[in-house]
Amino acid sequence: MSTRLNDSILIRWLRGILTNKKALAGSFLVLSFIFIAFVGPFFTYDPNAFLDTPLSPPTFTHWFGTTGQGQDVLAQTISGARQTLLIGFCTGFFVVVIGALIGGISGYYGGRVDDILSMVINVFLVMPGLPLMVILASWLPPGPLTLMGVLVLTGWAWNARVIRSQMMALRGRDFVSAAIVSGERNIRIIVIEIMPRMLSLLASSFIGASIYAISAQVGLEFLGLGDVSTVTWGTNLYWASNDLALLTGSWWTFVPTGLSIAFVSFGLTMINFGIDEVTNPRLISERNWRKLLPKGKMNDGITPVVINHD
Amino acid sequence: MTDILLSIRNLDVEYITPGDPVCAVKNVSFDIARGEIFGLVGESGSGKSTVVQAILRTLPPPAIITGGEILLNGKDILSMSDREVKKFRWQEISIVMQSAMNALNPVIPIRKQISDVLYTHKGYSREKAHQRIKELFDLVDIHYDRMDSYPHELSGGMRQRIVLAIALALMPPLIIMDEPTTALDVIVEREILFKVLELRKELGFTILFITHDLNLLLEFTDRVGVMLKGELVESDEAVRINSGGQHPYTKKLIGALPSATGPRRKDLLPRPEQFKIGEKPLIEIHNLNKKFHLSGFIRPKMLHAVKDVSFNIYPGEIVSLVGESGSGKSTIARLIARLIPPTSGTIILDGIDIFKSEPRSASLNYRRKVQMVFQDPFGSLNSVHTVFHHLARPIIRHRLIPQAELYKYIIDMLETVGLSPGSLFADKFPHEMSGGERQRVAIARALSLQPELIVADEPTSMLDVSIRMHILQILANLRGEKNVAVLFITHDLASARYLADRIIVLKNGSQVEHGNSEELIQSPQHTYTKQLIAAASPGWLKKNLLKTNENRDSK
Amino acid sequence: MSKSINYLLRRLGFYAIAAWAALTLNFFIPRMMPGDPAAIIFARFRGKLKPEAMNALRETFGLTDEPLLGQYFTYLKNLLTGNLGISIAYFPQPVTDIISTALLWTIFLAGISLIISFSIGTLLGTLAAWKRGSKLDSILPPALAFFGAFPYFWLAMVALFVFGFGLGWFPLRHAYGEHVTPGLNFPFIIDAIYHAILPASTMILVSLGGWMLSMRNTMITTLGADYITFAHAKGLPSRMIMLKFAARNAILPNFTGFGMAIGFVLSGALLTEIIFSYPGQGYLLLEAVRAQDFPLMQGLFMTITLAVLGANWLVDIAILFLDPRTRR
Repeated sequence: MSTRLNDSILIRWLRGILTNKKALAGSFLVLSFIFIAFVGPFFTYDPNAFLDTPLSPPTFTHWFGTTGQGQDVLAQTISGARQTLLIGFCTGFFVVVIGALIGGISGYYGGRVDDILSMVINVFLVMPGLPLMVILASWLPPGPLTLMGVLVLTGWAWNARVIRSQMMALRGRDFVSAAIVSGERNIRIIVIEIMPRMLSLLASSFIGASIYAISAQVGLEFLGLGDVSTVTWGTNLYWASNDLALLTGSWWTFVPTGLSIAFVSFGLTMINFGIDEVTNPRLISERNWRKLLPKGKMNDGITPVVINHD
Repeated sequence: MTDILLSIRNLDVEYITPGDPVCAVKNVSFDIARGEIFGLVGESGSGKSTVVQAILRTLPPPAIITGGEILLNGKDILSMSDREVKKFRWQEISIVMQSAMNALNPVIPIRKQISDVLYTHKGYSREKAHQRIKELFDLVDIHYDRMDSYPHELSGGMRQRIVLAIALALMPPLIIMDEPTTALDVIVEREILFKVLELRKELGFTILFITHDLNLLLEFTDRVGVMLKGELVESDEAVRINSGGQHPYTKKLIGALPSATGPRRKDLLPRPEQFKIGEKPLIEIHNLNKKFHLSGFIRPKMLHAVKDVSFNIYPGEIVSLVGESGSGKSTIARLIARLIPPTSGTIILDGIDIFKSEPRSASLNYRRKVQMVFQDPFGSLNSVHTVFHHLARPIIRHRLIPQAELYKYIIDMLETVGLSPGSLFADKFPHEMSGGERQRVAIARALSLQPELIVADEPTSMLDVSIRMHILQILANLRGEKNVAVLFITHDLASARYLADRIIVLKNGSQVEHGNSEELIQSPQHTYTKQLIAAASPGWLKKNLLKTNENRDSK
Repeated sequence: MSKSINYLLRRLGFYAIAAWAALTLNFFIPRMMPGDPAAIIFARFRGKLKPEAMNALRETFGLTDEPLLGQYFTYLKNLLTGNLGISIAYFPQPVTDIISTALLWTIFLAGISLIISFSIGTLLGTLAAWKRGSKLDSILPPALAFFGAFPYFWLAMVALFVFGFGLGWFPLRHAYGEHVTPGLNFPFIIDAIYHAILPASTMILVSLGGWMLSMRNTMITTLGADYITFAHAKGLPSRMIMLKFAARNAILPNFTGFGMAIGFVLSGALLTEIIFSYPGQGYLLLEAVRAQDFPLMQGLFMTITLAVLGANWLVDIAILFLDPRTRR
């Protein structure tokens, strides 16, 4: 019924992110990797095929050289992106959903429910992730679903904690009390009234969780706990290390994959920096404020006098 | 004026924003003579705190001072070097800030928060500093064995006195007091102010006093400046301001609030004479108790917030719960609105004990009949939804109005609370409205369900003085037009007197006194009620000063 | 004072619950898997395992004919008496023996890098927040965020490749050389530090950005507090306000975060150990995975969990000293 969506703070926030430099640069980086992961494999060699002398350095036919199995590194890097990114973002999504569910319920209902749930959250938080993942992954049949399950199980608690504390803060606000007094159902209050207020947190949680999922996934596969017959960034590094890349000096077998991981994670981090800036406009105000000052005069607790300013 | 201590000339302050800079203070000029008390009054956002922070040049980013002079003993603070600024602070001017809890560093004992200025500015030895701290504690009536306490271990009044002691540490000629008592309860506030005036008599410093409460200023200041939207609209002697003032805004402020004592003014009569209050109680509250769990599992520490409170509200009646913070008044409001469950007690509406038998439909029925208006109009509306959403949701939930008539009904509601044209406001978002408009929306939302009781929890305390009366007026009109009963919760005896038929005084969770408002005000029985009324009467300060002088003389 | 003890006991109670939860999880994971865990183990080691090793394995997991609850209590009893079973990879050495020396190396390497990285990161964060917009503040966070984006072990590989193989500045593997005898003697300690420099630096480089950013952010919030303005108004020296007022308060939430993140950072440390063939828990973890050594994996999970819980308790004690509000 409302026709003035353009003035909604949600739309403004979204517009802010779409015009934020850091968020834009980060999105560009991440989206180009996603694009290459989708389209790239149609133009490269078969990543699994034996093509050339194993461990040959970069040439014109094999831009990034070949692996210890004589496969094309470029093809492996590109098709490895597919599964790694897919699992990374899916895990990120589920981690946020579960974190929002458990953290949200815990923060909203409070009392006994919160006592128990926050205890569970804290227990999972202090449990060291990698050894737990190793135990889980070693018992389960290897495969993408196992990987995702393990990552979600060990990764949800951090998000749940953050979402719980924001939920608690919002739960205490009067607009929630007002909705309760008017007879709204709890589920509707959570979804329609509170969740939109947490959009910024949910977005950055999703990105943070995806970064976690990509790096943890690569770590697990590097240990040999994934399905080593598939081509992913993690198994690329696993094989590079198995084929003694370090001892033979064949840096090209692990450098492209590692750089790709870093670029994607860095791009995601930049998006989060951007979200942070848009959510706290104070940061931008302060930047403009600093531009007016003579050099070296900042934050020593003395308000500057800028008479010539017009 | 002969001996001018501080002179502010054409001061301009701007805040840098992502867009254009915002002018917070425009061309403000005033003088403060040595030894006087100068009061600066204004509503939130009027720039009064910005002015005092500019004097000390402690305005945090993104503020810049864009013009003018601030002369202290003839020397311009704005052209001082950073070193000079650091040196003049506290030696020449000190400040008592609004919230003492936040002004003190929570992780350092209070002794160290006094000694740091003594070391920095005077280079005192340990023993000398210790001696001085003892003196200062004596001055503000705090026993010096409290020295090693941390801020969280002290009460609000004590913390404010510690901050006062810090302000006195170097005996500067000028002390700025930026709303030093706003966060405190009336009776504590009066004690602190009294202490300040006593000390001034003894030590002879000059005071610049900032507040939003003009009536308070008129009690003890020599001269008063009135600020509005960053400009100083009037500056005159307190006596002359008291007799009316020149600027229309000053006049508005003077007439803004009813007084708690004195004869009742005709235009403030709350109840229309032809109006009759129902005879059968609308809601009965019996022995309501609420305990909050503070800490501990095995031997839990509990806070008994509401103790055996019982009262009735009749249809169309306005009852006021009056008490200071911590008196349990807001807890009672939340209990009646069913936002929290009671520890024990009953609330009976339509013959049903609502805490015992509650099928879903009965519960929803209660929600429709009992609505609430909250204190903070910024917090009680959801910034992601339009006004229309806020008003439509309750109606849709209770299936009160057919879908087709919904829009017209909501427009009507908005116009009832004085938001016209309603169609303009229906599409607005909360951040596009002023505080007063938001509070009207909140009242319209409560009204839209055609309730029988509205619980209003300090609905005016976050609003600017000049619009408080309008909101009270709306509440008074409602019961006349729609026969709605109102439970009005406030810390301000004067507004309670203005609006309510009956007043219940609360202290530490218990009912202290209960009676028809006018009778209760004119002849209070309980000591606490008498204290409250005395604190809210004009001239209380002078009476107090006289009293202590008499005491001294007789000794 | 009793409040402090009360607080520490309460935290200890929580860690006991967390430890119990980890133990129980560890017990139930194999039993929740589709199929019989004994059969899974048997299938995986068909023909490769001596019968006595197979029996030791069954015993470790309590996979007897007892009812589930009985198995559970036997399992708990074994763990509480320090009996973590017999390793398969190092048969017939008990897991406890294998883990104990490795644990010391992990605590040495990961502990030192964590403390260094947290201290430097906190210091940098403090400075960056204090001098917002300075070169330090505008260049360092994105630069460190970039290093933080690399997987720990990958950066370790590159470091090893460049500084170990390429330049030959640092040793390629192990925690100490063959020419020194382990013990409290000077050459050994120097050699151990020399071996730790490269792995520790990679860990510090990856985790530094996180600590710096979180300190910077809490510090910026703290700088907006009234007591900072009040301290400025008091004319106190800037350095004093930065350290005693702003950083002193901002570090408290960061410390709590430090406790929570130990488990997370440790995971990266374990992978780094693998690259450097460092004889710590991480290296054992790889061995365990390669050899499908379930008792060793379980033992590692237990000890690492206990180490993290212990570290968290130390953080609690530190917070008790730093924040008078917990002492009340």
